[in-house]
Amino acid sequence: MFKLFKNSSISQSILIPTILIVILSLLTVSLTTFFSYQMTTSEIAEDSSKEINKQIILNFDNYIESVINTANYIQQKTIEHGLKNDNAALSDIYNQAAEVQPDIESIVLIDTAGNLIISSSYKDVSIEDLTTKSWFLDAISNESIYHFSSPHQQDIFIDSTAEVITVTKMADYYIGGNKFSGIIVVDINFSNIITLASTTNLGDGGHLIILDEHDSLIYSNGDSCVPNNCITLEIAKDIIFGGESVEVDGISMYANVNNLTATRWRLATFVNTEIINQTRNSNLLIMGIIFISTMIVTMAASSYISNRISSPINILKDHMQQIEKGDFYQKIEIHGQKEVVVLTHSFNSMIEEIKTLMNKVVQEQREKRKTEFQALQSQINPHFLYNTLDSIVYLSENKMNEKVIEMVIALSKFFRISISRGKNIILLREEIEHAKNYLLIQKIRYNEKFDYEFIVDEEVMDYKVVKLSLQPLIENAIYHGINTEYDQGKILIRAFKKDNKLMLEVEDDGYGIPDEKIEELYQNIKYKQNGTSIGLRNVFQRLKLYYGDNADLIIESELDEKTIVRLEIPLERAK
Amino acid sequence: MKKIVIVIFLFLVILTLGACEESYDKIPLILYNEIDPYILEFEGHILNEAEGKLEIEVFDSQNSQLLQNEIIEEVLEKNPSIMIINPVDRLGAYTIIEKIKEYDIPIIFINREPLEEDMLLWDQLYYIGAPAENSAAIQSEMIIDLFGAPGNLSELDKNDDGIIQLVILKGEQGHQDAEIRTEVVIEKLELYGYELEIISIEICDWEKVIAYNRMNSLLTTLDKEIELVISNNDGMAIGAIDAMIEHELFVDVNEDGVIDSETDIWIPVLGIDGIEEAFEYIELGYLYGTVINDSQRMSEILIELVEALLNGTGLDELSFDLIDGKYVWVDYQRYEKD
Repeated sequence: MFKLFKNSSISQSILIPTILIVILSLLTVSLTTFFSYQMTTSEIAEDSSKEINKQIILNFDNYIESVINTANYIQQKTIEHGLKNDNAALSDIYNQAAEVQPDIESIVLIDTAGNLIISSSYKDVSIEDLTTKSWFLDAISNESIYHFSSPHQQDIFIDSTAEVITVTKMADYYIGGNKFSGIIVVDINFSNIITLASTTNLGDGGHLIILDEHDSLIYSNGDSCVPNNCITLEIAKDIIFGGESVEVDGISMYANVNNLTATRWRLATFVNTEIINQTRNSNLLIMGIIFISTMIVTMAASSYISNRISSPINILKDHMQQIEKGDFYQKIEIHGQKEVVVLTHSFNSMIEEIKTLMNKVVQEQREKRKTEFQALQSQINPHFLYNTLDSIVYLSENKMNEKVIEMVIALSKFFRISISRGKNIILLREEIEHAKNYLLIQKIRYNEKFDYEFIVDEEVMDYKVVKLSLQPLIENAIYHGINTEYDQGKILIRAFKKDNKLMLEVEDDGYGIPDEKIEELYQNIKYKQNGTSIGLRNVFQRLKLYYGDNADLIIESELDEKTIVRLEIPLERAK
Repeated sequence: MKKIVIVIFLFLVILTLGACEESYDKIPLILYNEIDPYILEFEGHILNEAEGKLEIEVFDSQNSQLLQNEIIEEVLEKNPSIMIINPVDRLGAYTIIEKIKEYDIPIIFINREPLEEDMLLWDQLYYIGAPAENSAAIQSEMIIDLFGAPGNLSELDKNDDGIIQLVILKGEQGHQDAEIRTEVVIEKLELYGYELEIISIEICDWEKVIAYNRMNSLLTTLDKEIELVISNNDGMAIGAIDAMIEHELFVDVNEDGVIDSETDIWIPVLGIDGIEEAFEYIELGYLYGTVINDSQRMSEILIELVEALLNGTGLDELSFDLIDGKYVWVDYQRYEKD
């Protein structure tokens, strides 16, 4: 991941991490907010539906408790009065107790054979065998507890249409001091249960159901739960007790199941929690919008910033590449970040410095070359002067005055050109003149043993040449090219234009030079610092110093025929 | 840098895993109501017994089945290995059984016995308790010793009518113990041939304060002399005694700080449970006697049973009888001033 940034541009390395960081932090923030909000709303819904369930349960508990209290009271009074042998008063007590609680239809004491002992009602007891009633069977199945029947039409009396729940419990009673076992039968009006259940708002589709210990439906106030077809009954069965989020007919609800105290019943509430889904969806939407818009803003801002930073640097970079190519002559003007401006200034001064340094180097090189050049030129003079003066002495001794005069004049001209008021570059015309003087001197010195000829195109006479470039070649031809003892040698000097270059040739008709010898000569001339062929090397080096690679020295030879040494130099016309 | 990221990531992973895998090795003890002094004492014994063997976490249901259900739900999420439950409503215990059965966690019920049919719902159910009729039988024995032969009652038959005028302080209506204790003590006395006049059966929900109030209002209107008070537990007996002291049914004539059965005015009051306060009242002569519900022994048995179930060592080598593989009955003990 970090390698990824190593070769990326500035704008990438700003843009990518920024976007990554923003994505990460946005995601973290949105997700945590979303989930904590989601959890909170779920918790609130859960808590409130639990509270609703508790409240309903408490209402029912209170109601059941009041019924049980009444039954306990009746039981207590029955024993009390039975113990006092005062059962006659019991009818009134039963009656009063039933009247105090209007939802109590009747309170009846029957014996274990199903015969009526005491009743709160004037109604006639059913002629059916009460011992077959389910509430009767319940009562005798466990004598220590109160039994609550399913809602049914009151069946302890004839002609009753009331829908009741029958609460029964085994109880003792006394007749004439003797204890008997009986059953207290309290019929409570079922409509009261319905009233209790309907007072709470459980939301759209929300409802409550009551089930008994066999998971049979006792009561439901919801449309989605009717006897024999109750989805929520199955849910309540599975939950057993406690709370859970469930879905009923595609509606999310929170189900709570709890025991009804002192009974074997359970009450389940189903509270509509669809609102949670709605808030979740709208939350998701809002978060999505925030996420996307923040992303867009971030991307725009970071790409703008990264561009602002990187574009001046890019300009600087382009300039640097130009400089790499050798263009030192452009000044950079960059506006932007302070750092980049400072960098540009520094860069400019650096380039300025480099330019100065380069010029200095060039200057120094030139100076150095000049010094070397002059040194090389000055190498010629003493050597030649010594020989010439020798010859003049010789001529004087032999009284050859004409020759002495001729020679001294030539020498004088020779030196005038050699000196040339300090100039290093002279016209070819002057160089030829110089060569002629030299040859004149040498011819007298060598006793006219050789002959020479100049073949020079008039048109090249005004081109510039390096001073003393021809004379060493001639000197070389005289010393090595011709046999001054036996033969009458001949030296040809040519100057002409060819291939856009000035050609200066010195040809002799001496022994010639074998090819391998030519090769050795080249080596000495072009690459070695010392050794033989000082004259040629001197010329070659001066040509190179002045003209660079544009000048060359070529040696051509045919054995026993001729040798040509040729200088090729660029054309440079005098102004 | 990369390493730091990896370390942080691993740390987070471990943290998350750690949070998920946190194991719960405590044993939850869910009591019906810590206000009940007997329950509080029972709890103390259990915690004492468990010390060094098990870690018990106590929950108080505050006498609300709703709250108890919530506690059970909460505890089930921790997935304990065993649950000890003292149900608030014995009728509702079947839901507790059905619920916990799904998690396959054995339940030991204490103090309040679920209905027999409910105890048959699963084979991982246990009940440790005292046989309710046993306490009433012991109470009746004490009464026989006090009043003498049915035909020839002792001087405790203050009006000398040959009939014992008595008040019964009954626990919670519908509570199995309350029903049985009340039923059996009367049954036994009648069986022995005593003539009884039950002045009142006061239902006091096991509570001292209710008993005090009930006895107070009863004594304000009563035109008869009470010769015997039978209480379903010590707490109610003590509450009633406090009211009776105010109504001068107990008078320390010689002012020695102790009610002397020979010289002072007193009425026999009998309790059940043997709580700490009851022993003080017995020492001072106010409470004639009590039947100790041996919560100490029950606690020992409870811890032994829990350990046996936890270790899977089998239930054959226990120091007590496991009736029907479910029930452990711990007999009551008679206690009175010597």
